[in-house]
Amino acid sequence: MTYTGHRVDSAWLEPDEHADLDLLVNGRSVRVQVPARCTLADALRERGLTGTRLGCEQGSCGACTILLDGLPVRSCLTLAVQAEGCELETAEQAPPSRELGALRRAFHEHRALQCGFCTSGFLMLAAGLLRDEPDAGAARVREVLSANLCRCTGGVPILRAVLAAQRELNGGHA
Amino acid sequence: MKPPPFAYRRPSSVQEALTLAAQAGEDAKFIAGGQSLMPLLALRMSRPSHLIDINRLPGLDELRQSGAGLRVGALVRHATLERDARLTGPWRALREAAALIGHHPIRLRGTFGGSAAHADPSAELPVVAVAMDATFVVRSTAGEREIPASDFFAGPLMTVLDPAELLVEARFPAPPPRTRSAFEEFGPRAGDFAFASTAVTLSTRDDGTVQQARIALGGVDAVPVRAYEAEQALEGEPLTDATVREAAGRAAAGCAPSGDAHASATYRRQLIATLVERALSRLKEER
Amino acid sequence: MTHGYIGAGVERDDRHFLDGTAQYVADVSREGQLHARIVRSPVAHARIVAIDVAEALAQPGVVTVITAADLPDVRIPIRLPMAETPDTHKFLQPPLARGVVRYVGEPVAVVVAADPYLAEDAAELVDLDLDELDVVTDITSAASTGTPLVQPEAGTNLVATVPLTFGDVDAAFARADIVLRDRLRVHRHTAVPMETRGLLAEVDQGTGVLTLWGAAKVKHFTRQALSGMLGIDPERIRVVENHVGGGFGVRGEPYPEDYLIAFLALRLGRPVKWIEDRAEHFVATNHAREQEHDFEVAATADGRLLAFRDRAWCDQGAYVRSQGILPALLPAQHLPGPYRWEAFALEVHGVLTHRTPVGTYRGPGMTEATFVRERMLNRLAHELRLDPAELRRRNLIEPAQLPWNFAPTPITYESGDFPAGLDRLLDHAGYAELRRQRDERRARGEHVGIGLAAYTEIGGIGPFEEATIVPRPDGGFVAHVGVGSLGQGVETVLAQIAADKLGVAMQDITIDHHDTDQLAHGFGSFASRATTLAGNALALAAEDLRSRAADKLGVPSADVELGGGRATAPSGRSVPLSDLGEGWGRFDKPHPSFSFGAVLSLVSIDAGTGQVRVLRHLVLHDVGRAVNPVLLRRQLTGAAAQGIGAALLEELLYDEYGQPLSTLLSDYRIPTVEELPDIEVIVEERPTPANPLGIKGGGESGMVGTPAAIANAVADALGPASGARVWRLPLTPGRVRELLRST
Repeated sequence: MTYTGHRVDSAWLEPDEHADLDLLVNGRSVRVQVPARCTLADALRERGLTGTRLGCEQGSCGACTILLDGLPVRSCLTLAVQAEGCELETAEQAPPSRELGALRRAFHEHRALQCGFCTSGFLMLAAGLLRDEPDAGAARVREVLSANLCRCTGGVPILRAVLAAQRELNGGHA
Repeated sequence: MKPPPFAYRRPSSVQEALTLAAQAGEDAKFIAGGQSLMPLLALRMSRPSHLIDINRLPGLDELRQSGAGLRVGALVRHATLERDARLTGPWRALREAAALIGHHPIRLRGTFGGSAAHADPSAELPVVAVAMDATFVVRSTAGEREIPASDFFAGPLMTVLDPAELLVEARFPAPPPRTRSAFEEFGPRAGDFAFASTAVTLSTRDDGTVQQARIALGGVDAVPVRAYEAEQALEGEPLTDATVREAAGRAAAGCAPSGDAHASATYRRQLIATLVERALSRLKEER
Repeated sequence: MTHGYIGAGVERDDRHFLDGTAQYVADVSREGQLHARIVRSPVAHARIVAIDVAEALAQPGVVTVITAADLPDVRIPIRLPMAETPDTHKFLQPPLARGVVRYVGEPVAVVVAADPYLAEDAAELVDLDLDELDVVTDITSAASTGTPLVQPEAGTNLVATVPLTFGDVDAAFARADIVLRDRLRVHRHTAVPMETRGLLAEVDQGTGVLTLWGAAKVKHFTRQALSGMLGIDPERIRVVENHVGGGFGVRGEPYPEDYLIAFLALRLGRPVKWIEDRAEHFVATNHAREQEHDFEVAATADGRLLAFRDRAWCDQGAYVRSQGILPALLPAQHLPGPYRWEAFALEVHGVLTHRTPVGTYRGPGMTEATFVRERMLNRLAHELRLDPAELRRRNLIEPAQLPWNFAPTPITYESGDFPAGLDRLLDHAGYAELRRQRDERRARGEHVGIGLAAYTEIGGIGPFEEATIVPRPDGGFVAHVGVGSLGQGVETVLAQIAADKLGVAMQDITIDHHDTDQLAHGFGSFASRATTLAGNALALAAEDLRSRAADKLGVPSADVELGGGRATAPSGRSVPLSDLGEGWGRFDKPHPSFSFGAVLSLVSIDAGTGQVRVLRHLVLHDVGRAVNPVLLRRQLTGAAAQGIGAALLEELLYDEYGQPLSTLLSDYRIPTVEELPDIEVIVEERPTPANPLGIKGGGESGMVGTPAAIANAVADALGPASGARVWRLPLTPGRVRELLRST
């Protein structure tokens, strides 16, 4: 059952109803029709934004990390209805933000990926960090990157790539 | 691993949230940052009939320090505590504990109120609240009441809150002069749920002896517990290697953790000795 | 001429992973698709009294619910002849439990609904009436009389016994100055790729062809298995590989779900999709490694190894899956390792327990065997007051002794220089200085230890791979291979080989490994075989294409230049490539090859918490020839990181009732960047004569010696008394703290 034009701030969105939401994703408006229980990750993926990966769906792996109002969140731990009116950035962002662009280059140059499944989440986690804390030290970067899991690379290549992107963003050479 | 069905609503004021909670019945839940609740929903270990989203409610995200102490609004994010440079001296344990909660994205979104109301026995902030004699202010349509942190937690994932009550603020009383605090925990990986933790606050006299000690332990019982015997071992004594060791030993001996497949009871007790000793040693060294 | 791609660190095209456009199976959608949810057993052993699906069927959006009663009585077959015995058919798994459930997580029903949320809602309402039975969860007693039988019709929990004997063991033990014997145990753990498994099946209503997306690793066998079980012609099944989020041995074997999703698509006439969730993954996807060994070693007083005896029990779980008895066979083949034994006798048993079935995980059998042997060698070194490196150096097989074989066992070493490899590792580590630093730190009260391990690794398992190279109208070439890409970059490596052998630029080569329709035969990506087998097949296919051109041009094939859509002779005469047909190659590999490696680890222990930190970790492996050293190093690094997780953190715990206790990523702890050192990789290149390219393989090698080296380092850090009690993995903080307590 669809309930078009539902306003969740003035009436209950019942379990069998769908809300029409406008999500602002990578600068574009994306309309989704979702039940209350739909996660933000599923809502994005349903609209073809499948670069946001699901590795555990309960907040442990970080593969679904996106930026919500500029900060990294796990989109499996956020309801789609909670993201209404927020600015979202995902791995598909084109043109990429300054941070995402630098990170993509650094991940390629430092070969910070193998199977690629965790890559979107790492890129967005790091993009959020480098925007919010441009001068984060190596230990801080490492600690933040421990939020996400990678099974292929051994982790350190990802750390190196993020530090290289940070140098590029701060005007140094990568 | 998808959440079960529920009704959802996003009130615009605390009063509206309380009214909705009163109407929605005992299976309704508040959701704020969702960092504890969403995993439970994904695993279908929690099946609320209604979710009342307080994430954007105005007025609950303030962190205020005054002569009367510290007030932490229910929607203050862990990352806010972690980054607040004012949280030093007596309040440092709060900042240290917040910095150890889960991982960066969790801390950006998770809230003080959420962590307290979720009442995970391994959670950091409840241990600090107990060590610092905090009081939780809860509200419902029936009015407001204050609950000491030490009475708030009722068991694993259980509190004394009624379903329609909302935790709106924690009040940390002003400490005696020369009070400092520290937090220590151990988990097997960065960001893991801790096997054991401790929050320590100490106030010292001019002569360096301990006037008041508060040591709370996490991960060793269904709720955070105080290590009274360890506190007594310190009060009136100077902080020395010997008194630190004595207090750490008493904290370990006085707790009764239960073991599980991931950490045995013996191991948790050993960890308490290590962690209390480390927290106290830091306070001793920094004097 | 060649462009010299082989041996170069050619960059891989990774754009799709960086802009979110890579398509894993969960990202593929078909018009009108339905979603399946598997209902799994909540208990480890029970008689199925009844399954009531009525309430589930009545839920909104539900299309169908099936149980074993809806299926023909079929079993998932074994894919390797070497892993089958005359008895293994008795232990094979039906796609849905028939009459009895035998592990927590065993599929008992499937719900198909309009979306995954509704499917999960309905699956909760399938009512299972189960009559619980006693369980067996201990591997050493599983085959004893009086133990509950996992498969009563088979009459035993013993799946297979692998005996290997070399030389006169009793005589060698009789001459020994020292004999050490102990039990050693490797725990249940597994690969945990970041992408869970997933499938999407669709039947083309026009042609009747069934397409299955989400396969990997052994696509051609999956097609063959499905053909047999579904009773349809293999030509009417197309198995497609998408981007794959890591395999490491567990992904891509034919599982119950491969059959179930294909069956449902055929039955419903609509596309059916299933994406495994992480909790399912921990009970449904193959587990690995759990085994216990009773190992006895004999040596002389001056540190010469004489002989060993081993009896082992290896867990197969509740059923024998597609890899047959490999969980018991592979440890047996790796127990001798790279040493000059005079004799050995071993007997490895594969046994059933009421837990998730077991398959292979990166470095299967060899990782466990290396842990067992190398722990005992360190114990021996201590007893003999010999440096652990020196004990190994004295006993490694010398290059002049190669080829070496432990006849009549099938264990044969063709090439390499084991002592040189060990010395290079020690040099690179600065072994003497490292020991000095360790002693200094120890004197300050720190717990610091160095651990070493040397090993052999089977690779390049046959039987064969085929490849075809097809010239394209635009002047490029498509190379079809039967191996799979699991995210390791094999497509880049194969393109390097094809380009060099054709003498063209890499951008002219497209490697197609996605689709069973494009190549008649293929065995897949396992046992570090993809580069060796498919690479050599491609080299032969390239030579075939060049020979065809040479015949037409009347010149030796070495003189032919390919390019611009033409084959050209030195005279300038040329023919269009479209006249040549396809180049075809088949590389047969009747015998596997063994390669050598060694690992050194430096660790410290936090005495207060028992936490082990890996300070340095070096892995050396002889890959024969590194086609792409950069990608290879990344493989070795990643495998070593997994080995560190296996040694220190990861464990699939069960309680005495067979209930799994590690079913989330918060309980099954794979290491994050905070737990991992900057792994140092040393690539040895000593080409093997066993294939024209000289390749030995290296996709798993970083794993094999890692848990052993870390265990030896932890034992060293604990000191002699407590260190001697390091007999099991993983060395979690709690276990290490327990060992420290007794010092």
